[in-house]
Amino acid sequence: MAADVQLASSCHLFDAGCGFPSPGLNIYEFKPIFSIGAFDFTKPMLLALISMLIVIVFFWSAFSRPKLVPRGVQNVGELGYLFVRDQISRETIGKKGDHFVPFLVSIFFFVWIMNVMSIIPFAQFPVTSRIAFPASIVGMVWLTYLYLGIKHQGLVGYFKNMMFPPGLPKWIYVLLAPIEFVSNIIVRPFTLAVRLFANMFAGHMLIVTFSVAAWYLLGFHIGALYSATSFIVVVIMVAFELMIQALQAYIITLLTASYISSSLEAEH
Amino acid sequence: MSKSGRRSGPESSHNGDSQGNNLADATWASISYILGGMAVYGGLGWLIDRWTGHSALFLPIGVIVGVALALVLVYVRHGRS
Repeated sequence: MAADVQLASSCHLFDAGCGFPSPGLNIYEFKPIFSIGAFDFTKPMLLALISMLIVIVFFWSAFSRPKLVPRGVQNVGELGYLFVRDQISRETIGKKGDHFVPFLVSIFFFVWIMNVMSIIPFAQFPVTSRIAFPASIVGMVWLTYLYLGIKHQGLVGYFKNMMFPPGLPKWIYVLLAPIEFVSNIIVRPFTLAVRLFANMFAGHMLIVTFSVAAWYLLGFHIGALYSATSFIVVVIMVAFELMIQALQAYIITLLTASYISSSLEAEH
Repeated sequence: MSKSGRRSGPESSHNGDSQGNNLADATWASISYILGGMAVYGGLGWLIDRWTGHSALFLPIGVIVGVALALVLVYVRHGRS
């Protein structure tokens, strides 16, 4: 929204006293669409709800009346489901992981659609570049793998297997156990959320910066060339982002599967 | 990469079954260990600094020790086969 304001200002490179209106954190902040008391409903929330609806409606229409020989949208749905099952779940967890495939499919497609919102016209904002969205998804992942770990290995067994890798001299456990604990319980969820957030944040920033620059550099002489260059970069960045969006959704799902797998059985 | 026999309990951990371990898995786990090591021992160093009144003596020592211990842990978890 702030980027719109910057684009609307007719300020170009060769105009006197016209600095580059560089986009900052303001491009991630939105005026509330409506407010209920202290609660502000903003554009990212709306986009998250739309993403949720897209995922639900798509899989509902794919699997509500399944046929033995899949046709149309069921084909695409099965392709997506089988991709997550075979490439992520079976690879990482194995056959036992089939139990968790619905969870992984939901994470993968929800995150992917929220990321893709970055390049949908009028949406043009990756929902996951606000850290609350990755953080709450990762919160669910965190609770899931803690719960599964305690359920499958016992409360003591889970932390014992996590913090005390077998076959080491006893004194070294005093030094290593705190690292194991912190890296498994705190660093893992933190990096999982920040990886998704930072990638989408940076990608959106790049696209906005070059878009604003393409407008700012526009002029009747050499400016046209500058502007065209910047515009080409925007096109390339959008294509690149398209790849990053899918990749980040894949990575968060892969690591979720990997954490679930390490909770189901003790690490070697 | 199939799952069968990939991971095992603590008792049977020395039969060389970590060969099939997922590479991406090991990579991200290593990063967590190194960050964890820096946080724990760097934090400990920072506390000692505050306690003894140094400005930054034990903090860098702690960070280096933390990374070293984390690398030991990466080796223990993923390097031995």
